[in-house]
Parts: sequence; C-alpha cells; structure tokens
Amino acid sequence: MSATGVARSHEQAGKTKAHSAQHRFFILCVAPSLAVLAIITLLPSLYLLVTSFTPLSLTRPETLWDFSQPFENYHQLWADERLHNSVWVQIKLSFWTVLLQLLIGLGLALLLNVKSRLLEALRTVFLIPMVLPPIVVAIIWKVIYTPDISPMHGVFKALGWNVPALITDPQWALTAIIIADTWEWFPFTMLMVLAALQMLPQELLDAAKVDGASPWQVTRHVTLPFIQGVLLVAGLFRLIDSIKAFPLIYILTDGGPGSLTEVTNYYSFLQAFNFSYLGFSSAITVALLAATLVLSWLIVRVVGWGVRVD
Amino acid sequence: MSTLRRRTILGSALGAPIAALAAPAVHAQGGKPYAGTTINGSCFQTTYFEYLKAYFPQFEEKTGIKVNFNMQAFPVYNQRTDLELSTRGSAIDVCNVTFIYSGRWIGAGWFTNLDTFTKDSKYTPADWAPEDFAGGPQSAMKNAKGETFGFSWEGGAMITSAARYDLIEKAGLGMPKTFDELIKVCDAVHNKENVAAFTADKLHHWNWIPYLMGSGGAVFKAPPENLTPTLNTPQAATSAEWYANLLMKYGPDGLLSYSDDQAMRSQMSGRANMRTQAITWSVPLAKHAESTVQKTVRFGLMPAGPAGNFPGSNSHGLGIPAGSKKKEAAWEFIKWALSKETIAMVVKEHGYPSVCRLSVIKSPEFKQVLTLNGQDVAALYLEVLELGGKTGYMKYRTVPVYPQVGDKINKAIERIATKQQGAADAMKQAQAEAVQDLQKAGFKVDL
Repeated sequence: MSATGVARSHEQAGKTKAHSAQHRFFILCVAPSLAVLAIITLLPSLYLLVTSFTPLSLTRPETLWDFSQPFENYHQLWADERLHNSVWVQIKLSFWTVLLQLLIGLGLALLLNVKSRLLEALRTVFLIPMVLPPIVVAIIWKVIYTPDISPMHGVFKALGWNVPALITDPQWALTAIIIADTWEWFPFTMLMVLAALQMLPQELLDAAKVDGASPWQVTRHVTLPFIQGVLLVAGLFRLIDSIKAFPLIYILTDGGPGSLTEVTNYYSFLQAFNFSYLGFSSAITVALLAATLVLSWLIVRVVGWGVRVD
Repeated sequence: MSTLRRRTILGSALGAPIAALAAPAVHAQGGKPYAGTTINGSCFQTTYFEYLKAYFPQFEEKTGIKVNFNMQAFPVYNQRTDLELSTRGSAIDVCNVTFIYSGRWIGAGWFTNLDTFTKDSKYTPADWAPEDFAGGPQSAMKNAKGETFGFSWEGGAMITSAARYDLIEKAGLGMPKTFDELIKVCDAVHNKENVAAFTADKLHHWNWIPYLMGSGGAVFKAPPENLTPTLNTPQAATSAEWYANLLMKYGPDGLLSYSDDQAMRSQMSGRANMRTQAITWSVPLAKHAESTVQKTVRFGLMPAGPAGNFPGSNSHGLGIPAGSKKKEAAWEFIKWALSKETIAMVVKEHGYPSVCRLSVIKSPEFKQVLTLNGQDVAALYLEVLELGGKTGYMKYRTVPVYPQVGDKINKAIERIATKQQGAADAMKQAQAEAVQDLQKAGFKVDL
C-alpha cells in the first residue's frame, strides 16, 4: 500500500471512529427519552399482553397470574358473535367517518385557501367542533337527536315530516353517530390540508397555468399529488382515532339499539369495566392493536407518502 | 441521647396503660376522638345525599370529622367503585353499596363487616337500633352467613305513577291493576292531548323483570344457588314481546334512549303519562317545583300479571370499603347519616320518600309527607317493601353476575322493540350469551 493509501486508510478509520463516537453520543442523549417512553408506553402494553393470557377478573384476584390456559381468551374471541358484530360495526364506522372527514375537510380547505379576511374568520369558525371537549360534542348531538327537545325535529315537525328518533332507529343509529363524528373531526383534515396548501410552491401553479391547465386539472395534477402525503397522514390519524371512538357512542346510543352501534373498543370497555373480565378485554385490545398496526402499514405501503419537495 | 432514650422508655411504659384507660366507649366519651380526620365518601347522584350535604356541617361540628363527599352518574359511580374496591385501596372510606353489585362486592370481601361496630357498645349505642332497618332492603346488604356489610339509605319500591290521571278518569277508567288493564288504559289515553300513554327508561333489566315474573317467567332457575338462566322460555319470549310493544306503541318517540331522569322529566312536563318505576322517581311528580303535573298525578301498586304481583324493590346502602384506613371515623359518619334523627329530618324538611327505617316509615310525619293528592303513598311504599322481603323474589338481582346477564336482557329488549329480531330469537340469543358469561365467570350451569 502506498503512503497516500495508508494516509487515506488512517483518515477513513479516523472518520469511522469519530462517526461511531458521535453515534454513541446521540444514543446516550436519546437514551433517557427512550427509557421514559418504554416505561410509559411499552410496559403498559406488555402488561396488557401478559394479562390477555390470563382469565383475570376483578372479583377473582387469584386469576391475576393464572396462565393455565393462556390462549383461552383468544379462543373465545373466535366464538364471540357479539365481538364479530362489533368489528363489522367498527369497519362501517371507520370507513364512512374517515371518508367523509377527508372529503369535507379537503373540499373546505380548497375553498378556504384564499386570502380574504372573511374566509380567515370562517376557518376559525370551522375549527370550533374540533376544539370542543368530546363530551360536550356528544351532549350537543344528544340534544339534536332527542325529538322532545331537538330544534332539528322541531323543524321537521313544522314541515310535516315524520322523522323518527335517529339514535333509537335501527336504520339510522349508526348514521347518526357517523354524522356527529364527521362534524366533530372534519376540521382536523381541513386544518392539515390548509397548512399543506399554503406550502404549495406558487411556481408549480404558475407553470401549470402557463401550460393552459384548467382549475380542475391544476387541482387534479398539481395540488392533489402535492398534498397526498398530508391526506394520508390525516386519514391515518382519523382512522386510528375512529377505532378509539367512545364518548359519542357512550352518550348517544350506549352501543344500541341492540348492538347496532357497538364498536369493538366499546365492547372491550364493557367487558372490562361493566363485567370485570379484564383478561378477555385485554385480548380484544391486543387484537385491536395488532389490526390497527397492520392496517396502518398496509395503507402506507399502498398509498405511499406522496411527493416530497425539498 | 441516653436521657432521651430513658424518657422514651418511661413515656411508653407510662403512656400505654394511661392510653388504655383513656379509651372509653366512643359514643359515651362525648368528646371528638376522630377530630381532625378527613374521610372520603362516594355515591351515585341522588337526592338523599344532595339534601344531606347541607347538614354535613352539623356532623363536622359534632365529631370534628371532615367529609369529602363525591357523587357521580350511576354507571360512572359503579365502574369507578368497582375498580377502587377491587384494588382494596384506601381512597374511599365510606360509599354506596349498589344493589346490583352488592352480591359481587360483598361476596368478594370488599366491604367491612359492620356487625363489629353495631355489636360493640363502644362504637354504637343500643338506641341506634340496627334492627329498625326494613328487612327487605337490608337483605341485599348481608352475606350468606347473615353478616351485615351495609345499612340501607334507600329502598326502591316500584309503583305505578300516572302523571295525567285526569285523562284516565276522563276515559272512564282507573289506575290499572293488571297487565291487561294497563294495555286497556294505554289504548284509551295514548296521544290524548299530545300525551304518550307510557314512559320508561332504558334499564330494561330492572323495568321489565316484574312483567316477566308476573307472566310466570324468571331470570334464573333458583337464585342464588342455581344461576342457570331461563331467558329462552316461552314465558320470557311472550313477556319480552309484550313489554317491547308496550314501549314502542305507547311510549314517546326516542324512548329507547331515555335515562331515568329523562323518563321522569317526560312525565313532569306532561309529555308522558304512566310509568312503573321506583318511588324515588315517582314522588317528584307531585313534589318537584318544576313538575307541571302536581295536581293531576296519582299513584298505584305495580299491575299484577297472571302469575302474581312482583313489583321491583331494591336498596342502596352505605358501607365501609375493606381497604379504608379510617373505618371508625367512617362508621361515625354512617351512624350519623342513617340515624333515626337524621333520616326523620330529611323526610320532614325535603319530603324524601324512600327511607328504610321502619320507625320513620311508620311515623305520622312520613305519612303526612307522603300523602299526595289525598293518596297514602307511604302505605304503598311499605306494601312493596314487605312484598319484596317476604318471598325473596328479588334475589335474582343481587347475584354477582347480574350486571352481565342484565346487559344481555337490555340488548334483547332493544332488538325486539326495534324489530331487529323476533322475541323468541332475541331471548334465545340472550340466553346463549348469558350462559357464556356465567361460564366465563366460573359458575356452573345445568342445561
């Protein structure tokens, strides 16, 4: 090896050494945060997983460490028809709420992406449902859906329309929840899309216009690809949140009539806190968590993260 | 250092016998042995404790014990307390023993045996009289050995109330005494003057059971010994269909989502007429300042079915969680809150109707307070309590698995009422789910 080669090799080794020292330093810096994260998120999740292998019931403390039939809860998941129904309800609720929130949020964001004082004020108004506490939202919709006191039913009555109580009508109960959930959360998508739209480089739009693109073509070929990643993130957030749907169902329908609005999350809650079957409820939650992770991964794989502009 | 040690040893040696001498009977002491103690109490939202809170300063003055008392909505209270009791935590010192959870909470050993207090004159004077509490409500507060874990502050006795009795009279009818008469009255008055004939809340596993039993059905084979569900019998299916029809045909729109309070308000505002429910939710129709039906309301016994009359009766009591570290102070609170004097005061000043001390129920003051529109409602109340206590038909409700089985009943009634399923199928499904739950909870079921 020539002298230059040796020098280069030494230089390379020095760089590698410095790089690994830097890497160690970074790890050291991040370690406390990772430790805290592990304690507050991983440990409870691990405990949830462990509990799911026991028949833990609050009224029978001896069941806490009973691992004699570790897969019994998972076996029961297959046999529980009410759980299967709750998964189907969950799919319907998630599909419609995410779809509607994305469409309405996107539509309004495109309309409001104009510099005007009036529209800026309107943006703030549209954000109100999202910043209200979920229980308040549920109470607002409880009033709207209760015929005796509902202004909506009052109007229907005045028009001579006989509209049933939506939250107790089997044809309408889930739709009523979807409407309320969409109202509460479309501003989230709107806000994210608006932020993305304001970062859209003007040159791209100008270039498209120079090429003679119509407004629809600009939206279709420039704007939408640009905000695709944001839409995906918003959709994912909303999907995960829709799986956690709780206050609206708790206040408005209690999962009913029958089990028509009983989503998996709510069913898991009933098992744990109304019936004390914590082991079984943990198994449901573990399955739900796994399904959410797989679904999120699939969506990212299929849709991709969109265009990146540096 | 050595002086200190000597002092400590001498102090301990002298202090122990002196302390023993200075620990006379708590009630006889006349002092405030628990002064400075703060106890935490908890119950679901209820008028009794709303009224009682106003008198807490009297208790604090008398004992020096400070009381933090929280109330939550019924389901929220039960869920929180279930969790708290199961951990044997010491966050709560005195709390409500909820009727449908009583079997589970007492059976799991989560409450303190109060006999240790009542049988010891050091803690309880003889004139406090634990035997003065009505037997029916008290039975839910005891375990199989007859030991007491709570004292009832409320006895729920199901009666019939007709908010607009004038409409019934106008139709030439009276208070319904049988299921058939109930339907006849409903047919005659439904939607007259925009008033729905019947109303109810969504707790079907409480409201429907008297109709089920009246039709010859039952929830379990022989509770508490044999908890095999009997929800798939022909009687259960027929009765469930009958009840679902009662709700949907004669109830106001949206009734299936009604809470207790909503159902009561529908009567108070004159939008609905009859309801079969505990007296606590019925008396406000005559007493509440916001009631528009004070002059027209009438009360009657629960209608009887072909198999007899089984009005629901329940009770809620005050107990001391096993994990409490201030049990003596908590007992002082229970002693005061449920003393004859305190209960009589709440009855006299607020007209509270559902008390459980016989001496108060039989007093002229109680009768006077519960004479509503010329009717002796106190007599109705006592009659229901005695009915429930005599035959023990309410035992189904205090078994540890009732919350689970009750949920299946609620869902089945909703499915029938909204025509998602026929009655026989819905009850068959409820039966299968209840059996599954019982097996999950480790109970033997003979099928």
